[in-house]
Amino acid sequence: MRRVIETDICIIGSGISAAMVAERLARGGGPRRDIVVLEAGDDVPPLGNRYALRERSLAYGESPWPNDHLDGYEVEGPLQSRSMCVGGLAMHWGGVTPRFSPEDFRVHSLFGVGHDWPISYDDLEPHYQEAEELLGVAGEQGPSAMDPRAKPFPMPALPLTYNLGLLEDWVEKAGITMWSQPSAKNSVPYGGRAQCCRNDTCAPICPIGAKYSPDFTWSALRAANRIQLRTRTLVRRLVLAPGTARVSHAVAVERDRPRDALEVHARQFVVAGGYVWSAHLLLLSAQPGAPNGLANRSGLVGKYLTGHRNVQGFVALPLRLYPGINEQHSLVTKQFMRVTPAETGGRYVRHDLRVWESAFGRGARLTTDKGALMLGDEILRDWRERTRTGVARVRAYYDVIPDRASELTLDSSHRNAWGDPLPKLAFRDDPVSSELRPYTEERIRALFDRMARAGGGTVLRTNVDEFQDHPAGGCRMGDDPSTSIVDSYGRAHDHENLWIVGAPTSVSCGCANATLTFCALALRSAGRLGARVG
Amino acid sequence: MPISRRAFLAWAASSLPAVTIVRRAHAASVAALTSTGAPAATLRALADVVLPSELGAEGKTRVVDSFRRWMTGYREHAELTHGYGTSRIRYSGPTPVTRWTSQLDSLDTVARTQFRSPFASLSVERREKIVRAALPGARLDRMPGVGDADHVAVALLAHFYASPAATDLCYGVAIGRESCRPLARASRRPLPLHGA
Repeated sequence: MRRVIETDICIIGSGISAAMVAERLARGGGPRRDIVVLEAGDDVPPLGNRYALRERSLAYGESPWPNDHLDGYEVEGPLQSRSMCVGGLAMHWGGVTPRFSPEDFRVHSLFGVGHDWPISYDDLEPHYQEAEELLGVAGEQGPSAMDPRAKPFPMPALPLTYNLGLLEDWVEKAGITMWSQPSAKNSVPYGGRAQCCRNDTCAPICPIGAKYSPDFTWSALRAANRIQLRTRTLVRRLVLAPGTARVSHAVAVERDRPRDALEVHARQFVVAGGYVWSAHLLLLSAQPGAPNGLANRSGLVGKYLTGHRNVQGFVALPLRLYPGINEQHSLVTKQFMRVTPAETGGRYVRHDLRVWESAFGRGARLTTDKGALMLGDEILRDWRERTRTGVARVRAYYDVIPDRASELTLDSSHRNAWGDPLPKLAFRDDPVSSELRPYTEERIRALFDRMARAGGGTVLRTNVDEFQDHPAGGCRMGDDPSTSIVDSYGRAHDHENLWIVGAPTSVSCGCANATLTFCALALRSAGRLGARVG
Repeated sequence: MPISRRAFLAWAASSLPAVTIVRRAHAASVAALTSTGAPAATLRALADVVLPSELGAEGKTRVVDSFRRWMTGYREHAELTHGYGTSRIRYSGPTPVTRWTSQLDSLDTVARTQFRSPFASLSVERREKIVRAALPGARLDRMPGVGDADHVAVALLAHFYASPAATDLCYGVAIGRESCRPLARASRRPLPLHGA
């Protein structure tokens, strides 16, 4: 049986970028529009259940978001997360919301590497502000030369903990200015949600809703009857109207009615499936008129996947720290993001820097250094001795220039329950980044050493995470249709009524947590889409 | 006449499907640990050996009660938190409780063989000797997650040392890790524990 739904706007996906778009379109003024949101996964447990879920997560390591994925979606390559549910990955994000710095948008012009974005920081600045107000971001502005912004944060910063106060003094000795990490966590009651009370399990679950997650937006929009959110509805392809470049409808399968085909016809389509499922859907939608997939005249759908790598270290310091006061909160600086080649040995090295309290190497242990088993009072005595001084965790995300071969492709050897090929992921550094990598990581390690010495401490360990965090790209934006998929507003060059929003449109991933940037991009798209729809 | 846990296990192994055996064995073990029988007494007596004396008798009993609740609440094949960078979904393994209960039985058996007395009736020094002799096969290079502990003695330790109360005891202050605490208090040094 074939069923048809007609609407003004069809949004595919219900993650954080989709929530931004829906919120903006539903409440942004203008005429009321019919909005249908299609989500392949399930609803998430209500707020009232989250303390209990958190308790089991803490006690047994159980997922606080059980069944937040589709079975059979084991993807080859470094998938960020299996989460596919209402709210998407942002149901378990850390809630950290730095902005990119102006240099992130102009790396080619300034440093001769990578690609410039078709927009500047100034173009995105009002949308950053709007995103901060929608999410509810608590923050303090750093020095204006490092941390430009036009308006104050909507909430005062989360207070620095006793530990972070000591660590702030430490990093100052190393000539580094740091401040409270902006976060989408309520430092005061905001948006009808509670003030943070340091439960300290922001990732994977905030039990009181002090951290923003997209389900709050969806709940409010549903309660106000501003959208129709259909869960367990997997979009399999987008179909063009015969003889045109306009998208006519989405073909979906309702997981509870797998034998019936659902068609959603709309005036405008918004693909908000993140860096994986957006490009995946476009590639699955190959058809006459778009033989390589939708929006893919350039052949670049799925290409230029991007992210940033990190170097992490643990520094032993002669400080009495008390791990657990608010372990997920941190200090941050943009000092190493806002650099010139002259300041980095003439080469392109940019990174953020964050500092946390840590219990690394300071937990209770069972055996002495010589391997002798301890029991009873011995363990506590040993633990106390080893915690007279503290440990700081330091981490730098550094910018990785993506290669064209950093890509998502269709994997015909692995298919989902409906016979569609799953995606396959491969991340590749651009040759410039590959060549720079040892130099970059050595500079960051040298920075950690310098910081440690400034505080009379030592670096206990460093490691590099091979995984590129905050992955994005695959449908990058640009002015030239031959080298990009969408324009700077996320509208597909090839299809006037197809929009791709958030992470996949990113040209690069900068060197800081990128979720706020994805939200700002999505809001910028929604503003233009709303104006076009009328 | 009620059937003993050991008699039940022997009968079940020859009569029931494996899944049912595991589920019922877990329930029988939990019941044995929460009753007034030998395994429960052995567990409480084990706490005197492995937990710090500063907890006092009441504190140790609280830890043992909490450990029992942990065992009661254990669920097999529960979906575990999936991390970043992988598409693999992991599930919790078989219950460790039946193994731990057997280990408590063994401690008691050794005590009766060596000293002609139940484990719970021995001096702490003799109990410790038995525990140390039982542990060489266990993995001891790190404090494991509770459910990963090879031996019940290590599981009880791991359960306590993973708790916010243990952190507070170590530092001598009320950090209250992972509990709901006023945000405004975060900037101040945690207050000393009562009596510290």
